[in-house]
Amino acid sequence: MAEVRRDPIIGRWVIVEGREKSLGPAQYEKELHVSKQAAICQFCNDRESQTPPEVDAIRPGAYAPNTVGWQARVVPNKFPALRIEGELNRRGVGLYDMTNGIGAHEIVIETPDHLKNFADYSVAEAVQVIKLFQNRSASLARDKRFKYIMIFKNYGQSAGASVEHAHSQIIALPMVPKYVAEELEGAQKYYDFRGRCVFCDMIEQEYQDKRRIITSNDGFVSFCPFVPRYPFESWIFPKEHTVDFVTMGDKEREQLAGILKDVLLRMKICLSDPSYNFYLHVMPVGYENPQSYHWHIEIVPQLTRVAGFEWGTGFYVVRTAPSVAAEYLRGATQ
Amino acid sequence: MPELRKDPVIGRWVIIATERARRPGVFLDSQKNTFEEAACAFCDNKDKEIFSIRAYSGAPWRVRVVESGTPLLSSHGKFSRHGHGLYDVVNDYGAHEVVIETPEHIANMADLTQEQIRMVFETYAVRYNELNKNTNFQYVIAYKNYGWAAGSRRIGHSRSQIIATSVNPFSAKEKLAGAKKYYNYRERCLYCDMIQQELDAKVRIIAETEHFVAMTPFAPRFVFEIWILPKKHNCDFAKGVVGQEHDLAGLMKIVLTKIKIGLDDPAYNYVIHSAPFRHGETGAKWKTLAEDYHWHIEVLPRLTRVAGFERGSGFYISSIPPESVAEFLREVKING
Repeated sequence: MAEVRRDPIIGRWVIVEGREKSLGPAQYEKELHVSKQAAICQFCNDRESQTPPEVDAIRPGAYAPNTVGWQARVVPNKFPALRIEGELNRRGVGLYDMTNGIGAHEIVIETPDHLKNFADYSVAEAVQVIKLFQNRSASLARDKRFKYIMIFKNYGQSAGASVEHAHSQIIALPMVPKYVAEELEGAQKYYDFRGRCVFCDMIEQEYQDKRRIITSNDGFVSFCPFVPRYPFESWIFPKEHTVDFVTMGDKEREQLAGILKDVLLRMKICLSDPSYNFYLHVMPVGYENPQSYHWHIEIVPQLTRVAGFEWGTGFYVVRTAPSVAAEYLRGATQ
Repeated sequence: MPELRKDPVIGRWVIIATERARRPGVFLDSQKNTFEEAACAFCDNKDKEIFSIRAYSGAPWRVRVVESGTPLLSSHGKFSRHGHGLYDVVNDYGAHEVVIETPEHIANMADLTQEQIRMVFETYAVRYNELNKNTNFQYVIAYKNYGWAAGSRRIGHSRSQIIATSVNPFSAKEKLAGAKKYYNYRERCLYCDMIQQELDAKVRIIAETEHFVAMTPFAPRFVFEIWILPKKHNCDFAKGVVGQEHDLAGLMKIVLTKIKIGLDDPAYNYVIHSAPFRHGETGAKWKTLAEDYHWHIEVLPRLTRVAGFERGSGFYISSIPPESVAEFLREVKING
């Protein structure tokens, strides 16, 4: 029987299908990733002059910036959603509030290889991408205008990727985005009431329950959330509350790289290479209540189209129970 | 220069990034709403009828409401709540109905007559009032998915859906809280103030009738998002719409025809937002509801895909300012 479940952090209700009627991977529409672009693009090796000048790169040899020899690089987005130049200028128009669109919008080109994507990386390759996420977060956080650094990835057309070559994006924002603000508020409320981190409690409960766990290593755990928004949605958490994303060292970085590529590979196998998004939910710049928030990564494969009911109500309908999704993902190994 | 704009009701910021209009691949491939035209399950519908409009008893139906064949929720069992560690759960108690909007095999509501659309709104109001009698129901939403990208199956027969839930959905709570906050501060309805400001400014108005106004919102989630608002204040759709169904149907037909012509028959959703059921409760939670909330309709053409940034942040990016959208839609010529 279907259930209506409430997210314990922000209070969103979601309709979740029961186990017996849950859809399996084969019952979702398959998306074919037909290549529409040349096998060599602006993000490929030896095309460095076609992007704006890089702001960071992993380039082990003695090569100069914006030349060959890199393994991953970060460049400003040619078509930025926000502009880096200028001061933030808030104003009102009658009862409306607005500001000019100050921010940063960068692209992390994850590999010089046009054909590879995250699920196919070695742990060492995934480590480099995470290292660049950390470097850029630290650097952008020093800009006093920015309150939040959002890191995300679109893979595949139906997840919104307009370029095939493996990349992720970083947007620095002059305010904390709504979904994060709601999580921070819900987590702080729980902390005020119980004196504990809601995410730590959730991880503990998931470990005891076991049914929704996908995989774990020494530092991280991945599970399908009890109240997902999308079928096969999967989250990755550091087990220890004290692990900070930006200052995370070599050991944790390698553990995170390992579990992230592992979960993405499981999705690729189990769901026939679906389009997906992942995004990091980290603390805002200079956040004052780190005891109540626990950073994490959310991965959402794109298997369905969100319909009017969801847009209108914020009430999501998920046709695969998370315990069923986790079972499929646990079983999906090469 | 891009702009950041804040939705005055729920406080969502959106990015109006005009320079990204040049970005390749922003719009979906021109959406041709192809339908599977084999035997239509709605033309000669035999499902158990919940309600219908007929010229006289025994006459053929003109609008018909049936139980959904694939219900998300149902009221056959009993409503129950339980906890699961730190999670809250309720069972699947609710209602899920399908409104077959016409006996004719017409796909898009834009192509129905004004009189036919009027009967659809009348039907929604009847069902709202009927579902309100079940004290386990807290919220009812009437909505439409048209076209594949809007979440519809490939069915070429105009229809919409009604869902009643035993809990208040998240977006409704946000809207109610935002409207109440504004009311507490100013002792006026936020939506009434907004309508006044928009009618004065005119830049975001698409069309106007005696009782309703169609406009693009200042801080839209989607390109070509449209709001239809009643000029007369009422928090409840089923009460407010009485006597105005014909006028509303006329404006809805104009709006849907304009997007059909102007955007090459795109997929779209519309959603009616109304106050939750109070079942006679008048406590602090609902004390000012009748004054602070204002029912309305959102029409959402589905032209772009939502990507990781929107999914993760709740920030939306529009590549065309709502003022340009309104201007474009004002200028789309429709016949009649």
